[in-house]
Formats: sequence, structure tokens, C-alpha cells
Amino acid sequence: MGDEMATTTTVQEPNVKEDVWINTSCGGCYAQCGIRAHRVDGVIVELEGNPETPAGSGRICAKGTAQLMTLYDRYRVNYPVKRTNPEKGVGVDPKWERISWEEAYETIFEKFRNMKDPRGTYFQATTVQTSEIRFAVPAFMKAWGFKNYWVSGGGLWCGNGAHFMNGIMHAAWSIIPDWNYNKYTLYFGCSKGHGAGHAALQSAQWAADARARGMKAVVFDPFLSTQASKAHEWVPIRVGTDGAVALGMINVILNELGIWDAPYLKLKTNAPYLIRPDQHYKRDPETNKPLIWDPKAGRAKTFDDPTIEDYALEGTFEVDGTTCTPAFQLLKEHVKENYPLEKAEKISSVPAATIRRIATEFAEAAEIGRTITIDGKEIPLRPAAAIFFRGSQGHVNSGWNCLEIDLLNHIVGAADVPGGSMGHGPPVSFGHPDTGKPETVPYACPDGLMTVKGWVYDHKPYPLREPAPPQRLDLQDLYPCSVYNAFTICTPEWEKYRKDFNIDYEPEIMINFGSNSVMTMANAEGVTENFLKQFDFVLSFNIYQNEFTEAVADIVLPDASFLERYTPCVTFPSTFCHPTGMDHWVWQIRQPVVEPLHERRDFNEVMLEIAKGLGVQDKYFQAINDLIPVRYGGEMDEEYKLDPSGDYSWQDISDRVLKDRLGPDKGLEALKKTGLEKWPTKVEEMYWRWFTPVRVPIYFEFFLESGKKLQKLLSSFGREDMADYRFYTPLAEWFPCPSHEEEDPTFDLWAFSWRPSFHTQSSTQNNPWLDEVSVNDPFVYLMQINATTGKSKGLKDNDMVWVENPDGNKIKGPVKLVEGMHPEHIGIAGCHGHWARGTPISKGKGQFFDDLINPDLAHTDSLTQGSDACAKVKIYKVAGR
Amino acid sequence: MQLKAQTKWGWMIAAYLFLAGLGAGAYVTGVIADFAGAEWASVSKIGVALGFPCVLLGTAFLIADLGTPANFWRAYRKPGTSWVARGTIIISVFMVVGFIHIGLWLWPFGVLEDAAGARQFIGVVGAIFAFGTMMYTGILLGANRPIAFWSTALVPVLFLVSALSTGIMAVMLIATIDGAAHSGPISTLVRIDVVLLVLEIVVVAMYLQATHRVPESRAAARLVLAGSVAPLFWLGVALLGLAVPLALELLGYYVLDGSSATTVIASISGIIGGLCLRQVVLSGGIQAPLRAGRFEFAIPNT
Amino acid sequence: MPRYGFVIDLKRCYGCYSCQVSCKAANFTPRGIDWAQCVPAETGSFPTALRQMLPLVCQQCKEPACKEVCPTGATTQDENGIVLVDKNLCMGCKACIMACPYGARQTVGDWQTYFPDAEGELDPYEAYAKKQWEKKNGYGMATKCDYCKDRVAEGRKPACVESCPAKARTFGDLEDPESEVSMLIRREYGFQLNPEFGTDPACFYLPPR
Ligand SMILES: Nc1nc2c(c(=O)[nH]1)N[C@H]1C(S)=C(S)[C@@H](COP(=O)(O)OP(=O)(O)OC[C@H]3O[C@@H](n4cnc5c(=O)[nH]c(N)nc54)[C@H](O)[C@@H]3O)O[C@H]1N2
Ligand SMILES: Nc1nc2c(c(=O)[nH]1)N[C@H]1C(S)=C(S)[C@@H](COP(=O)(O)OP(=O)(O)OC[C@H]3O[C@@H](n4cnc5c(=O)[nH]c(N)nc54)[C@H](O)[C@@H]3O)O[C@H]1N2
Ligand code: SF4
Ligand code: SF4
Ligand code: SF4
Ligand code: SF4
Ligand code: SF4
Ligand SMILES: [Mo]
Repeated sequence: MGDEMATTTTVQEPNVKEDVWINTSCGGCYAQCGIRAHRVDGVIVELEGNPETPAGSGRICAKGTAQLMTLYDRYRVNYPVKRTNPEKGVGVDPKWERISWEEAYETIFEKFRNMKDPRGTYFQATTVQTSEIRFAVPAFMKAWGFKNYWVSGGGLWCGNGAHFMNGIMHAAWSIIPDWNYNKYTLYFGCSKGHGAGHAALQSAQWAADARARGMKAVVFDPFLSTQASKAHEWVPIRVGTDGAVALGMINVILNELGIWDAPYLKLKTNAPYLIRPDQHYKRDPETNKPLIWDPKAGRAKTFDDPTIEDYALEGTFEVDGTTCTPAFQLLKEHVKENYPLEKAEKISSVPAATIRRIATEFAEAAEIGRTITIDGKEIPLRPAAAIFFRGSQGHVNSGWNCLEIDLLNHIVGAADVPGGSMGHGPPVSFGHPDTGKPETVPYACPDGLMTVKGWVYDHKPYPLREPAPPQRLDLQDLYPCSVYNAFTICTPEWEKYRKDFNIDYEPEIMINFGSNSVMTMANAEGVTENFLKQFDFVLSFNIYQNEFTEAVADIVLPDASFLERYTPCVTFPSTFCHPTGMDHWVWQIRQPVVEPLHERRDFNEVMLEIAKGLGVQDKYFQAINDLIPVRYGGEMDEEYKLDPSGDYSWQDISDRVLKDRLGPDKGLEALKKTGLEKWPTKVEEMYWRWFTPVRVPIYFEFFLESGKKLQKLLSSFGREDMADYRFYTPLAEWFPCPSHEEEDPTFDLWAFSWRPSFHTQSSTQNNPWLDEVSVNDPFVYLMQINATTGKSKGLKDNDMVWVENPDGNKIKGPVKLVEGMHPEHIGIAGCHGHWARGTPISKGKGQFFDDLINPDLAHTDSLTQGSDACAKVKIYKVAGR
Repeated sequence: MQLKAQTKWGWMIAAYLFLAGLGAGAYVTGVIADFAGAEWASVSKIGVALGFPCVLLGTAFLIADLGTPANFWRAYRKPGTSWVARGTIIISVFMVVGFIHIGLWLWPFGVLEDAAGARQFIGVVGAIFAFGTMMYTGILLGANRPIAFWSTALVPVLFLVSALSTGIMAVMLIATIDGAAHSGPISTLVRIDVVLLVLEIVVVAMYLQATHRVPESRAAARLVLAGSVAPLFWLGVALLGLAVPLALELLGYYVLDGSSATTVIASISGIIGGLCLRQVVLSGGIQAPLRAGRFEFAIPNT
Repeated sequence: MPRYGFVIDLKRCYGCYSCQVSCKAANFTPRGIDWAQCVPAETGSFPTALRQMLPLVCQQCKEPACKEVCPTGATTQDENGIVLVDKNLCMGCKACIMACPYGARQTVGDWQTYFPDAEGELDPYEAYAKKQWEKKNGYGMATKCDYCKDRVAEGRKPACVESCPAKARTFGDLEDPESEVSMLIRREYGFQLNPEFGTDPACFYLPPR
């Protein structure tokens, strides 16, 4: 800490010795906006947005501002503690006892050294501190030799489906409308531009600009959410049925309106690929490349044949004695036959006429054929977008829902072009002008389909992973698209599953960084008893004694929070923070604005200490060398590689990474002064689709093969029951959730969860400023129910009710009767209803929705292993109230 | 939208409004009695004696309710600029006069005992400020235009009638306890109070009726008649404050032909009702919603 | 002399409470006190119901009802039209709170920590915040938004304007017809809340849709 950090000094008062502003990055949610912290005599007294960065562009949200109270929260964990009560479980008092850091380290080293098998280690990390987990977690995993990794409900709720499918279709983590040119956006269960963390604040600003300009937004949501309240139209929809609506719309657009972007489909997708009657590509026997039909030449050619004059999208063609049909034709027929609007209406409750009207508006808004010139480059302009996220993807049909919604973009060519749906990030980056790093550009697989270059998960979205005998304890590696896999670990069967698949090691040690998995995955008892309690030793890095630490942690280490630590790479990989539109790339760092208070220590430094203490630091350093090129695009210069036999501090490592990526003059010292380095985006990066020679599928031929391989593999273990192979189909299908098939009529409501813009998952409810806001907000700590439905059940505002799912799991809370709610639903905000002793402010406020969620096989997407985050429930008054 | 009532002026202000009204009402009763002949002497003394202490006690509540009681004197800084400032002067003058009246007549000095003219002059001056006190408490509330439930000419009228009625009841109560027979002055007071109570019923009815025009006053009427304030209104104001005293007074006067017991119970009941009335009016203080487009927003934090 | 005013664009505002929280932070308002309050509302009925947030500030009325009822002279208006409370004159009678049509005023009882069950001393931030509050404000007094007078004097924007992610808030001079606020009011149908109270607010709103 010193003068070098000062960017401006305005000494206000004579007795003030120090008065500085320091640029850093917020860690209140994963948007990681650039902020400035005002420090006066060693105390941070103010946080504000840093106008220099596009990541936030000078704004700060309620959560961000309120982080001051988290930094100085007197309920935080400030010293290492150990559990003295041997009993573990939900709600148990661990009887913490303060210990020294030395004792903590000794215990930890001993536990690790005495492991039966290092593979039995499990890393669990929060999705909030995304950039913090990029080094310490994977490097330690490699160094210590284990593969078990998990990010709480992340993945299950938001990622397995959405991130995966966006990866296949946009080489990106997520999609977002290009607000700067967009005229019409369909929202399917997401709040982008209205709270959700994707470049949250710049998106909010651009969404507001677009609104002011007259952009039309149509929001499909079971309730009048923030985004719906700002939209032109709110379309109430049953949870989990978005895919059916999207398929109905595709049907209208293709078969009734006859609108599609033919050049896009021909050149940028596999729509023209010829499909055999057995559903597979018709391939060129010589090159094995998929064939298309050139109607001008009147014969089939390989998809990349330079002599192609045109591609047939429709019709049937005889190729070498096989009747072949272009994929597009199949899709068109498929939706016509299987997704008539009446069916979509019956499934979703959205009137057929509404679906037809909106489909028409969307297709027309795309203005197919129009172009725009940006920076001298003429590219298509498609001011229409269909976007989705957590809401529509958190279901049994997770993967397909995402693809179906996204297909809307692709049939009208509105993907990664001005005005359309943009891979958020964006996914193409040519790097800093001085170094060419971080560089990432997707490339084509032999079949012409897009493959991402770097990806944050351990396997790429495409090509799909080969199903393999599992190495991981959650058996995730069995499945071709899974990232995390809850149905195996959250059941009492877990041990049996492991036996069935010959896993020859046991869960032994869990390292938990933040993640509050007792609350954020599913039913707390289920997660705790079946999964977390199976570990002999649980080490948690935390800032609070939360439900997780109280239930299962043996040692809790007081982590520094984001205002107390160094993070060299905050905004790259650019999954969360870069706004989508012509602006700047920004490389932000995070730096301690104050030295860690009390006995808090930075997680990164402690993990490094642990690696050193266990004698695996060489592997740790090597792992970082290996990681950087993958995550941050581009080989490392020899000069900055870590010498495995050397000795480095966390700051040394940070310095090297920065110099390597940004140039020798942009090391840690330099970046500490500015907090960031930025350079302009290029049109070829931002609107990369037509500049990058890749296609994306509208016909998912590769699922077929994967499904067969999976079936074969599972059968070989005698567990063919562990997937529903109907999901592995090349043409988009909608599958019902268990909640849609509930037969008992007393379960007459769907329960779902939504995020308030001023809370981050289960993290922020103990923040007194945010709690104050929530207590006064009528929609956040109460469960919303349609007023007519409520009255018919004899309910009025603030009545206490039980909400019970068919498994008998129930939660309790007051209801709020509202008009902005689908009559068949009850909406529960965020991840509230805390009970931990360590977070007294949040205790008992709001409801804990996840208790209604059971991630068993029936509630798992067989394609992506995402969890179903909806439940059919009955509600009834709490007796005596 | 749920309109919420103000909570910043609570029971201490109700006690103040009530005591100021009762004290002033009793004082006026005493002053008028002083003109009514020797038979009324003890009633007059009781009335005058109640005036200053009740108002003083009420003012103590008012001061205690201030954010910074020690700074109460700041209320004199800008006399006449606002109703609180004007009221401060009115009430202060009343208290000074009432204090002098007591001090020179009842205790410690008896100089006014024989100077009926001077006494009555002081009484008239005091009574003018007593009326001011009774009325102004209503006007004070009425000055809050966003609160339709208060912002009506009926509140000062209501407070005036209630002040006189509770004042008379207080006098009757003390006199009766003091052993006064239920004849002569007391029975006259009872008859006057019957009239006042009937008048009060009419005013209350008109008041609640007249407030149904805007959403906030509708909400206030709902709150008072059927909401969380309803028990206080129906039991405290309607029953204890109006029905019981009226019934007992009529019973005592016409049927039992003068009963001390009915007078005592009626008075105690009516006085409690007077306090409840002030609290009911305060509790119904709902501010007008703010409007933008088709939306109505409830004022936060009042 | 400029007359400072606000324009809050309701169609841009998405109800994120950033203004409320950043005002709290910038002005060190004690527990329970918010000068920039956000009030959500719902109207209409299913399925055409609507929701909207109304972000409030002190409207710095030209004819302030609060000033009219203030017995002590504690409420004054400065040369920029900003209505101020002098902590050395206020006695906390709350008359102004009742009279203000916009819920802009609050009183502060004792200063309270946000962490009442915690052991030990106040953390350095709360200690600092308490000191800052006491420098400008008191206890038992009426308090309210002052359009970030001191920040504005330093050439900064009000905290709530600076933080608002949707750029829904604009601050400027109503007297200057060329200022952004004046132009927005003219061009986008700016209106004052509840004009029937006759206070002539300096805060204008743009229609929700
Ligand atoms: N403020 C804030 N921002 C965040 C986060 C946070 O916690 N707080 N978390 C970050 C993370 S990890 C994620 S994953 C993203 C998630 O960001 P979003 O995807 O925006 O998340 P939610 O608000 O959970 O869900 C969006 C909407 O889906 C609706 N919904 C629920 N089920 C369905 C359904 O079946 N169909 C349809 N159509 N709608 C449905 C909900 O009512 C809600 O309005 O936000 C990120 N940003
Ligand atoms: N009801 C409901 N449940 C949900 C969701 C929902 O919409 N509704 N969304 C789901 C989704 S999409 C996701 S991604 C998951 C997220 O689930 P998690 O990743 O578990 O995220 P959080 O709930 O924010 O829990 C993070 C924990 O980390 C701690 N923490 C915060 N900052 C730091 C830090 O700097 N250092 C350390 N060591 N710890 C820190 C906090 O104490 C907090 O308890 O939740 C899922 N669960
Ligand atoms: S959006 Fe997230 S990162 Fe940005 S200021 Fe808010 S909490 Fe911080
Ligand atoms: S809004 Fe209220 S407090 Fe502000 S000036 Fe107007 S009347 Fe006074
Ligand atoms: S509370 Fe203070 S500012 Fe308000 S009216 Fe009373 S003396 Fe004036
Ligand atoms: S102008 Fe300043 S004091 Fe007023 S509400 Fe905004 S931040 Fe608060
Ligand atoms: S910060 Fe802006 S968008 Fe958020 S509530 Fe306030 S005015 Fe509305
Ligand atoms: Mo997530």
C-alpha cells in the first residue's frame, strides 16, 4: 500500500493525512465492473464506477456500493476457526473455536498428507468470484492430481444448458442483444440489461438507450419481472415451456411466413447439409466431408467445395442412390408436423394467436437483406434477437430449450451481426495491439462446424466429449455435454453409483471457496446428507459462516474480500464483463485497496502456501504455465513462464501474467496505478460472424452418435437407465419436466425462482444496506402469487403459507397477492431464507426456494445434466395463522 | 398499492392534542361558570384549576415528542410564520394567563377571590386563548395538505366539540368526586354535554363521510372503520367516547334523576374516548399517493 | 444563479435501487435513513398489469410546503433553490415531514450500528460514517436530500446521478433553457409529481412509457 496507488489526491481537511482514489474491480457479482475506491486515512469511505472502463462505464449498482458494508461487516469471519462439534448437518451449531493460522496450516497439511488417494479431493468454488478461481483452483487440481471440481448451483442452474449451447452456436458463454442496433428482442427467462451479470451496468445503460429509442422487447416470463416491467409486452408463460413456444414460432416463420435468411443459412450453418434417411450426414466417400446439393450444378458437392454456385435448402435429392434431404428442409417439415401452434399453446398457455403475432413481428423486424457499413465494412444488419438464460434453461429440457430459442436467431441470420443476438464477450479477440494476446478466434472442425479456441470448462462445447468411463466422483465424464452432474451426488445412491462405475477412490477432502452449496444447488438436506457429509475433511475459505460452513466445514479460513486482494486477470476470459457493441477491450486488475483486515488472508496466497507446504509447488507453477495459453489466448513468452523450480509469490505471478499478456511495461506496478489497460475493439471482433469462416448447426447430427456412444457405455456398466436417449436427436424437440406431468390435481401451482437486481445469489442478503432495501420492497421477501388465484384459496397479503412439492419438501413464507403473475405460478425471489448463525442480518428473511428442488435423475436433463429448477407445488395456510 | 398511515406523530402527540383540548375546554367551562352565579363557584374553580396543569402536561408530551426536547424554545424564533409557531404563542399565552388565574385566585394567592371583575377579565382573555388552543390543534393537522384525512375544516370543529365535551366531563368528574350533588350546575353540565355529544356524533359522521373523495382519504376511512384502527375507533371513540357517556348521561338525567355514579362513569368513559379520538385521527393520517401515468405510488416512510 | 433541478426518466429506470444505496453511501445517512427512496408500484390487472419504480429525491420545491410549516426557521432555501435544514435551528417537531407531499424528509433518532450483535468496537468505516454524519447533520432533526450540495460545489455530480446504471437521472440548471434538464423537460414531456399541492418541484419526471 503506498503512494503509487494514488490516482488523484484531493486533500479535503487539514488533519487528513491520506486521501486517495484507487482503481480496481468490483467483485459484488460476476460482472466485475471497474470501480474506484476512495481511501481516507486507511479507510475506504466510498466506491464509485470508473468511467475509464467499458466494464461498467462509470456506473455502480446497489450491490457494488454496498460492498463497503461487506468489507467492514463485523459479522465476517476474521480468524481461522475449527469445528469442535463433531456432528455435521443442516442447522447444526459447529461450536467454532478460534485457532491460529499455524494450527490451521498444520491440520490442513496433515489431512492432505494422510489422504488415501489424492484423487479423492474435491474443489468447490463460488461463481461470484469468477476471476479468483481461475488460477488457484485449476493449478492446485493439477498439482495435487485430482479432477473433481464444482461450482455450486452454477452449471446446474445456469450453465450446463445455456453455456454449453451458446458455446456451440456463438462460441460464447451467453448471448445478449446488440442493443445499439436492435429493434426487437424476445426475452425467454432472463434479465439481461436489467440486472443479470452480463456486463450488467453497460448493458443496463444500452438497454435503456434502446428503450428510449423505441426498441421493442417482448418478455416471456411467468411473472412481471423487472425486464417484463420495462418491456413493450409481457407474455405470461408456464415455466419450462419456452422451447415449445420457440418451436411454434419457428414453424410460423418457416411454414406460414416463409421467411428465412437464405444466404446466412447456406453459408453460416449446416442447413444445406444433406441428410440421409438414417438421419446422418451424407458424406463424400473420399474426404468424408458432409455434402450439400448445388442446384445450379445439379449435383452434390462437399460443403466447402470452392466451385459451389448455390446451396439447396429445400427439396430431396438422390445422391449415389440415397435419398437425401437438406437439413433445413427436415427442420421445416419437423416443426410443421410436430409443433403446430395449438400444441405450443396447450403446453405453454400462450395463446396461439399471440405466438403467431410475435413470430411474425420478430421475423419482420429482422429486416432480412439489409446491411450496414461499420468502419468501412459492409455487413448484414439484423435488428432482432431472441435471448434466454437461467429461467428458460433451468429445466429438464435445458439444452434443447436453449437451442430452440437460439434457432430463431439463426433462421433469420441475426447472430453476431449488428442488431442481432451476440455471443457475449465477444468470443473473437485479436488481442492487445502490442502483444496480440489474449487472442481467440473460433475455427472450423472438419465438418465445417465452429469450435471454440479457449474455453473455461475442462472440455469444449463442441466437438462433444467422448463419453468415457468416469474419473470424476460425480460421474460427469460419462456424459458428452455435462459440466456438473448433481443427480449422482445428491442421492443416497451416490456410493452405489461409484461402485457401479468402478470408481476406485473415495471422496475424502473438500476444499470450498465461498460457494454456499447447501443453499445454491438444491434441497439442503439432500445436498448435505448425501453429498457434503461424505467428505472426511472439509476446508472452507469464506467471508461468512454461512449455511455451508455451519453444516459441514471442519476448518474455515478467513478469506480476504475483493477489496483486499490481487487478481491479475479480471475481465478475461471475457465471459461476463465486456459489453457487446463497438467500444473497447479492457484488461482490469483487482488490487487491495486496504490490507486484509484482522487475520484475513487472500485465498490465492493461501492456496499457494498450501501447494508449497505439500511440496507440489513445482507442479503448481507448471500448471499455471499450461493454463494461461488456454484461458487467456496465446502462448506465454519464455521470459515470463514460471520456472517450476523457482519460488514465486502471488504478486510475482500476477506481475508475470500481466507482462506476458500486455507487454513488459504493463506489469503489476504499472497496472496498480491505472487499474486497467484498454484498446479499441475492431468490427471483425465484435461482429465476427461473417468474418470468421465457421458454420453452426441447425441440425444436430452429432447428438445421434453421442447418444449411441453414451448408451453403449452406460449399458456396459449395466446402468442403461441413467439417461433418456430420446434427447440425443438431431432435430429440436421439447420434452416435458416432471412438473408438467404431475397428475395429482392438488399440486396446482408451479414454483420458480427469480433474481432481484440488487442481490447476488445467496451472497448479499447479510449486507445490511441491501437488506434494508429488500425489507422495504414489496416483492422480494414475500412470495408472489396471482391475486385471483390467491383469493380463490382464501389468501390475503402477508398470510403465511406452506409451499409443498410432491416429495413432501416444503418451505414456509408470507404471500403477496399481485396482478403481475401467471395464475398457475408462485414466484420466489433469489436464494434467501438463510438460517446460518454467522449471518444474523439475513436470517429468516425471504424464502429458501431450493428446498423444493430435487436433482434426481427424473429432474435432470439427459443431454446436459442440468437440473430442473421448477416444481409443482400445493400451497396451504400455516396452521394457527 | 398499499397506502400506509404516518407513524411519526404517535401517542404523545395524541396525548398532547387531547390534554390541550381537555384543559382548554375545562378552563372555558370554568370561566363561563364564573359568570353564572355563586352556585357555580366550585365548578368554576375546578374548571380554571384544570386548565393550566392539563395544558402544561400536554405540552410536556409535545416537548417530549420533539426530536430534541431541549431545543423546544426554538419554536419561538419565528412567531406567526407557521401554525406550530402560532400555536406555540397561543398556548403559551393561555398557559401564562391560566397560571396567573390560578395563582392569583386559587393558590397561593387569593387576591382575585373578591375581585370578580378582574377575575372575569382574566378569564375572558384566557378563554379566548383557550378557544385558540382548542381550534389550533385541529388547524395544525389541517395544514398538511397531502393528508386529506386531516386537511378538512371539520377537524378543528371536531376537536373543538370534543375539547369542550371532555373539558366539561373533566369538571363534572372532579366536582362529583369532590362531593358535589347531582343537581344544579352538574345537571346543567350534563345537559350541555348531551348536546355536545350529539353534536360530536354528527360531526364524526360528517367527517368520516366527507373524506371519501380521494384514494388516500378513502384508505383512511377504511383503516379507521374496518382496518387496524377500527378497534380503537369503534371501542374507544364510538363506544367509550360517545355511546356510553351519552347513554349514561341520558340515563342519569332522565331515568335515575341525577346519579353521581352515572356521571362519574360517563365522564371517565368520555375522557378516554377523547384521547382515543385524537389517536384515531392521527392514525388515519395517510398521505396522498404520488402519481405518474397510470401508476400510484405510496409515500414511503411516513 | 442556477436553479438546480432533476429529471428522472421513468422509462429508463428499471428499479435497481442503485440511487438509493449510493445516496446512503455518499451522505453517510444512518441506519434506516434514505434520502433517495425508490417506491415500486403495480397497476392494472393480469395479464396487462404493469410495474414501475418511482425514484424519489427531495423535489427542492420553489414553494416548499416543508418551509411553510417550519416553526423555527430551520428550513431555508439557498440561492440555487435547494431547501436546507439547519441542524442548529431545527427542534425536530416533524411538522415538515407531515407537510411534505413527497415523503422527502425523515428524522434520525440515535445513531445505530448496522451490526448490533457484533462484539467489539465500531468498524473503521462505520466510525468514519458516524463522524461525517455528525459534521453536517444531527439527531432528532429533520434531514433530507440536499442535491449533494457539497459534491456539486466540488464539481461532481450528485451520487445518485453518477451511479444510476440506466442513466435515468439528469441533474442541471432549470433556469438555463439550453441545459440538458431543460431540454429533456421540454422535449420529452417532463412533468412534476402531484402539482395539485402547489409546491412547484424542481424535480421533473419523464413518462414511464
Ligand atoms: N443481480 C444479479 N445479477 C446476477 C446474478 C445475481 O445473483 N444477481 N447472478 C449471475 C448468475 S450466476 C447468473 S446464472 C445470471 C442469471 O441471470 P438471469 O438468467 O437473468 O436469472 P434469473 O433472474 O434467475 O432468471 C430470469 C427470469 O427467468 C424467469 N423464469 C423462471 N423460470 C422460467 C421459465 O421456465 N421460463 C421463462 N420464460 N422464464 C422463467 C424468472 O422469473 C426470471 O425473471 O445472473 C448473473 N447476474
Ligand atoms: N433459489 C435459487 N437458487 C439458485 C439460483 C436461483 O436463481 N435461485 N441460481 C443458481 C445459480 S445460476 C448459481 S450460479 C448458483 C450460485 O451459487 P454459489 O456459487 O454458491 O453463489 P452464492 O450463493 O453467491 O454463494 C457464494 C458464497 O461465497 C461467499 N463469498 C462471497 N465473496 C467471497 C469471497 O470473496 N471469498 C470467499 N472465500 N467467499 C466469498 C459468500 O459467503 C457466499 O456464501 O446459485 C444457484 N442457486
Ligand atoms: S454489477 Fe456486479 S460487478 Fe458491477 S458494480 Fe454491481 S455488483 Fe459490482
Ligand atoms: S419535496 Fe418536501 S422536503 Fe423537499 S422541498 Fe418539497 S416540500 Fe420540502
Ligand atoms: S422538524 Fe425541524 S425543520 Fe421540520 S418543521 Fe420542525 S423545526 Fe422545522
Ligand atoms: S442528490 Fe444527493 S442527496 Fe439527493 S438523493 Fe441524490 S445522492 Fe442523495
Ligand atoms: S439507479 Fe436509476 S435505474 Fe436504478 S432505481 Fe435509481 S433511477 Fe432507477
Ligand atoms: Mo449462474
